[in-house]
Amino acid sequence: MESVIIQSLKKGELTMEEFNVISDIFSQAITGELIGMSNFASLAETIDDPHEKMEAVEHANSERMHAEGFLAYARKKNLKINVNMNGEYWGNVRKQFLKYAHNRDFTACLIIQEVMLESFAISMYNDVGHALGGEAGDLFISIGNEEKEHLEHSSDLLCAELKKDPAAFESKFEEIHFNCMSILAEFSATTDLRGHCGVCNGDCMKGSLHHVGLDIVTLRGNAMAIYEEALDNIGISGEKSIIWMARLPA
Amino acid sequence: MDGTTPSIDFAAIGHQDSWQNISAFVNSIRNTGQGKLSCEKIKDIFGFISPKEIFRIKARSKTGTEINGVYIETFIDPDKLHSQFVRANINKVLAAASRAKRLGSKMVTLGGFTSIVLEGELESLSTRETKFTTGNTLTAAFIVKGIEKAAERLGISLHQSDILIIGATGDIGMACANYMKSRANKLLLCARNYQRLEKMAGQLVKEKIKIDFSVRLEDLLPQAKIIIAVASSMDIKLNHCNKNVLICDAGYPKNLENNIIYKKDVHLFHGGMGQVSGGYDFSPDYSRSIYHYEAPHLVHGCILEAMVLAFEKRFESFSSSKGNITTDKMEEIYRLSMKHGIGLAPLYNSKGLW
Repeated sequence: MESVIIQSLKKGELTMEEFNVISDIFSQAITGELIGMSNFASLAETIDDPHEKMEAVEHANSERMHAEGFLAYARKKNLKINVNMNGEYWGNVRKQFLKYAHNRDFTACLIIQEVMLESFAISMYNDVGHALGGEAGDLFISIGNEEKEHLEHSSDLLCAELKKDPAAFESKFEEIHFNCMSILAEFSATTDLRGHCGVCNGDCMKGSLHHVGLDIVTLRGNAMAIYEEALDNIGISGEKSIIWMARLPA
Repeated sequence: MDGTTPSIDFAAIGHQDSWQNISAFVNSIRNTGQGKLSCEKIKDIFGFISPKEIFRIKARSKTGTEINGVYIETFIDPDKLHSQFVRANINKVLAAASRAKRLGSKMVTLGGFTSIVLEGELESLSTRETKFTTGNTLTAAFIVKGIEKAAERLGISLHQSDILIIGATGDIGMACANYMKSRANKLLLCARNYQRLEKMAGQLVKEKIKIDFSVRLEDLLPQAKIIIAVASSMDIKLNHCNKNVLICDAGYPKNLENNIIYKKDVHLFHGGMGQVSGGYDFSPDYSRSIYHYEAPHLVHGCILEAMVLAFEKRFESFSSSKGNITTDKMEEIYRLSMKHGIGLAPLYNSKGLW
């Protein structure tokens, strides 16, 4: 039986360019969720407190469910999915996370996974959801809303951490910002600053996003705005965050 | 705010009017090894940034009093100051206002374009703890005092001069008209909205003030010996000015010099500016990248109004809704500013001091 996508292509409802870019968008989302799942699983191994350990596993499961949701839709529509957790950007983000997880630095892990990665997920899922519309759009928006809850929850925890020792907390956050956000900034720049991501099927999808009503400048700008909002909510001052943002690669 | 953080006496909400300034600022805070970001790269992200505090200010009165302030940047895109972006710009200004309140600012002033986009909505922003002002009263005072000073220097008699006000129906334009109506030979009023202009003109005629008014600048320019430009438009073209005309450029951005054809016979200064004799410091100190004036410690009148009120511990909405600036209020805030060593800025333009 022909896939819905092939049928859509034949009917002229979906062009080949649209099919390719939608496939790449789903590939990125699935890879990102699997990175999140693996991060939480790694984090669970480092935690002694049984309740916190269970919470980390629960989070890992939540990310797994998101990946399952995207995969199910991709299978149904016969999208061309490429998952690669060891590519230039996703792989390096994962390495950064593992570095802190091995040091049992729960706060750092929370910052990477729940603030940095979730900020990008929330924003981009929202933008993609509205651009795609229909069943695919609803899927992105509902998963984005769940990710939003993760970010809000972790912001409260990190805000409490900041109050304990503001100088030490800001210093740690700054280090993680430049270690991890720099990778995401390079990944989301108008041109891949470190080469191909290893996830997109062909050339970088950024140049093709206009086929589905998106553009990388807006996607990146909105994602950075959500991240900045998170910094504000945690209690990082504007004087600090503007310097952090200005020093990111672009 | 913890016990070691100084309380914030005033906050200045502002925006940038050129990519050149933004680029200089952004690249000044990047690490030297990173290389400079191109203006195009900065444009890609600037407008997405939410309003936030950029630096702290400590200002000193000549009475010895010190006040603490903060500058909050709205991150309004300088290419989007037009009316079609008004909703987005209002949201940015409201977010900046919330930020000022959250920081515990007692007094907040809306600099430049930020008060224009919120016109009429300012009073609702004030709370018991935080008062908002447009800063327009002191700005207007510095404009008219600047005109008086420049006219005296050039040997121009105000009483014998026809004074053209471009942007006459705006808050500052009306204040300048009220001040000048008893001092000039004739007022020439120009604004985009004919109905507002006609209403204002009607009121002045009742007061037996000599006036002419038009929405077309070229109708009034040949008569004008003195021009006060307070409009926020970027499209003002001063073709056919009188010889030796005196111009106060007090609009946003201050770019009239680019729009004058015969520059030789024109005496133009940037108006609405004051100078803090006691000085002020920024922390972090970005003055090398953001301060471009020829003389030290110059500040826009709108920001100075909040500083003066903070020095006086008069945390109130001194300038709030449009059309309420009286000559008495202009004299009052000007007198208070002088008390704290905040005087009229020396006359200058883009080429330097007069």
